[in-house]
Amino acid sequence: MSKFLLSHPVTFYEGINACFIIDLDMKKIIETENLSFYYGKRQILDHISVGFREHAISAITGPSGSGKSTFLMTINRLWEELNGAKMSGRVSIFLDHEKLDIYDRGVSLSWLRRKVGMVFQIPNPLPMSIYKNLVLPLQMAGFKKKEYLRSKVETVLKQAFLWSEVKDRLPDDARTLSGGQQQRLCIARAMILEPAILLLDEPTSSLDEKAAREIETLLFSLKKHCSLLMVSHDQAQVKRVADEVLELVDGRISELFTTPSSIRSTKSGIGHFRP
Amino acid sequence: MTRLFDLLLYAFTWLCGLILVGAFGTLVVFLLINGLLALDFELIFGSTAIGDALFLKRVVIDGLLPAIVGTCLLIIIALGTALPLGLGAGIYLAEYAGKISKSFFSLIFDLLAGVPSIVIGLFGFSLTLYLHKHFTSIMPCLLISGLALGLLVLPYLIRSTQTALEELPTTLRLTAAALGADQAATLRFVLLPQAVSGIFSGIILAIGRAAEDTAVIMLTGVVATAGIPRSLFSNYEALPFYIYYTASQFRNQQELQRGFGAALILLILCALLFTLAGLVRKKVSKRLMAK
Amino acid sequence: MKRSVRVGRPLVLAATAVGSLLTLAIFAFMMMLGRPLFSDHSLNLLLTQAWAPDRGLYGIFPFICGTLSLVGLSLLIAFPLSLGNAILIHLLAPRRLARFLHQTIKLMTGVPTVVYGFVGIFFLVPLIREWFFRGSGMCILSASLLLAMLISPTMILVFLESFAAIPTAHIRALEALGGTRRQKLVHVILPGAKTGIITGLLLALGRALGDTMIALMVAGNATAAPESVLDSVRTLTAHIALVMAADFDSMEFKTIFACGIILYLWTALLTLSLRYIHYNSTKLSHDQTF
Repeated sequence: MSKFLLSHPVTFYEGINACFIIDLDMKKIIETENLSFYYGKRQILDHISVGFREHAISAITGPSGSGKSTFLMTINRLWEELNGAKMSGRVSIFLDHEKLDIYDRGVSLSWLRRKVGMVFQIPNPLPMSIYKNLVLPLQMAGFKKKEYLRSKVETVLKQAFLWSEVKDRLPDDARTLSGGQQQRLCIARAMILEPAILLLDEPTSSLDEKAAREIETLLFSLKKHCSLLMVSHDQAQVKRVADEVLELVDGRISELFTTPSSIRSTKSGIGHFRP
Repeated sequence: MTRLFDLLLYAFTWLCGLILVGAFGTLVVFLLINGLLALDFELIFGSTAIGDALFLKRVVIDGLLPAIVGTCLLIIIALGTALPLGLGAGIYLAEYAGKISKSFFSLIFDLLAGVPSIVIGLFGFSLTLYLHKHFTSIMPCLLISGLALGLLVLPYLIRSTQTALEELPTTLRLTAAALGADQAATLRFVLLPQAVSGIFSGIILAIGRAAEDTAVIMLTGVVATAGIPRSLFSNYEALPFYIYYTASQFRNQQELQRGFGAALILLILCALLFTLAGLVRKKVSKRLMAK
Repeated sequence: MKRSVRVGRPLVLAATAVGSLLTLAIFAFMMMLGRPLFSDHSLNLLLTQAWAPDRGLYGIFPFICGTLSLVGLSLLIAFPLSLGNAILIHLLAPRRLARFLHQTIKLMTGVPTVVYGFVGIFFLVPLIREWFFRGSGMCILSASLLLAMLISPTMILVFLESFAAIPTAHIRALEALGGTRRQKLVHVILPGAKTGIITGLLLALGRALGDTMIALMVAGNATAAPESVLDSVRTLTAHIALVMAADFDSMEFKTIFACGIILYLWTALLTLSLRYIHYNSTKLSHDQTF
């Protein structure tokens, strides 16, 4: 019998606030330690220490401006592409049971971003064909063989429930797809590199209800391939899909809890939940 | 009082519009009236048979063919040398340069863009003089002119490449970065393919500039009669110089007529290149807007 | 791909370096070849004397005057013309007509200068000659009119760009207060476009300074300093083009490098002032947003 223990948010004196998931069965995939983040002089994240579970959907919620998206970007180091940002603290990911500090000097950005995929709020297919969009990450990683590319495209499109819709229009411009299809294409494009972690920044907020539900179903099915970390401000959605929830307010942890859906969907007995 | 001001403003601006467009219209119509009649095969090939002229069997003396060929060769040499430099520098400024080196180098290229073409011609000429004195027996020639023209259009190419890359939406870069692309891969797989039409429109404008400029070539080896150039090191004719030369040295009505024809051809050529560049440009902005 | 990282950066850096070195080499070469001019007090003579090689006078003073008067007059003509056109296109003309005007003016920037010169000689010069009954018609006035035509499109396009860059919010605010189009122009557009207007003016000035063909073909190339707009003049640019044929070792020949250096320095000064203006205006808008 495993124990799943979540602490109440604890705020220490120097503004350090930390939460720990102590879980004997569930392996962690991401862990941050004292993660702080600044844009210019403005502090976005304030000493966040938190861990997320493997093969689960972890959701980050909170009011807008609370640092949710920034938090995501510290995990694939995408913030380094922006100007005027600064970070302190550690972020580690666990690959093959080994803990790896992603800000270590030996870590290559390209490698990291292939291991940690990302999907954005507004679907961002590149202005090229559907097929080209999907094979681009592979080509950029140095894969050239035509048959391999083709078979990978088919695999991920099937994973993303998009194959039947687009299999006849692969040469079309990706922007001719509907919003929901575009977002699923972007998810497929991220999945083609077989990432261990998939970051999703409010992936459904620009879509209508129906398309959003389709994406949710898709995310659910992706759990077996990778671990998902999703920013969402939609409480109902979080309730529907998330296994665990981190709530950020003003760059600090406000709450961290597992959701009933997670209790239902995971093995019985897990999910000891303390408010 | 207000009424009067309004009225004056209206009258003034409309008058300005009328004057400018009227002047341009006059220029075009004047050239058309005088040049249109001259536009035929004889204008280009003179009294030589077209086939003979094209296959260099016989020299065209009284036609524009050598001048047109000279201008084309100039464009090829100028773009051939300036394009790699321009693309490289444009890419460097847009993608690689740090803050300080970027503002330093763009200041240098702004300076280059401001240098009058006659000064560039003078540079080409003094370079020839220098080489002649110290190294070879080189004289002002097609190659020197082409290189000098290359220097003239270099800042255009740099700027259009730089702008084409910089005006791409940031999401493209972020998307590529999130897919694990490093800077070089982002450039090669995402940015350059997207910027290609913008760069292309810059190239077209550079071609127009190289075709039109007279001051540079005047100082670096163009002559009134040379026939089609035999080598990179020979003298040559060029369309804009032909026009200039005819304006001051024409001996009879027929030569003047040819001058009008040449002016009309150059005007049409530049207008076409210009329109083409505009269309390409429009296509780019449309495509980026669609996002 | 790994290789392209290693090769790509040095390659583009090399291209940048070569381009920059060439820019500096232009200046270096002219200084080198024109050096005899600067050695003693001859610089002073060069800049103040008249041009009369047969009397041993090699001053380029008349050409500096010629350039400045030509450029000055052309700007005097082109500036109001351009401002009027820009206002017409931006504010007053019906949409379709405005589009047509805009397109035409864009097209005009592509007209070769030698074509302006050619049409000038055979159309404008005879006209001026007949109107004023004086001289050959190749004079400051004719050349300035053509130069104005050459530089106006550039100016208009820069003006229009700066008009369009004025925040709509400012215009809406005035409209909400019941402002007329004229009030919009006087209170929002013109003050807001001040930097753009100066930029356009300086760019046009540079273009006019550097032009060779119109001055060479239409201004008449007289070697004396001008006294009226109907006098013919020689500009610095035209002087370079005309003296090229002279003996390489003559004093005459060396003066063209002085002309080249002066032109280079003038345009460099313009570029630097444009830089300065641009820097100040971006700093200002930056300050306002924060």
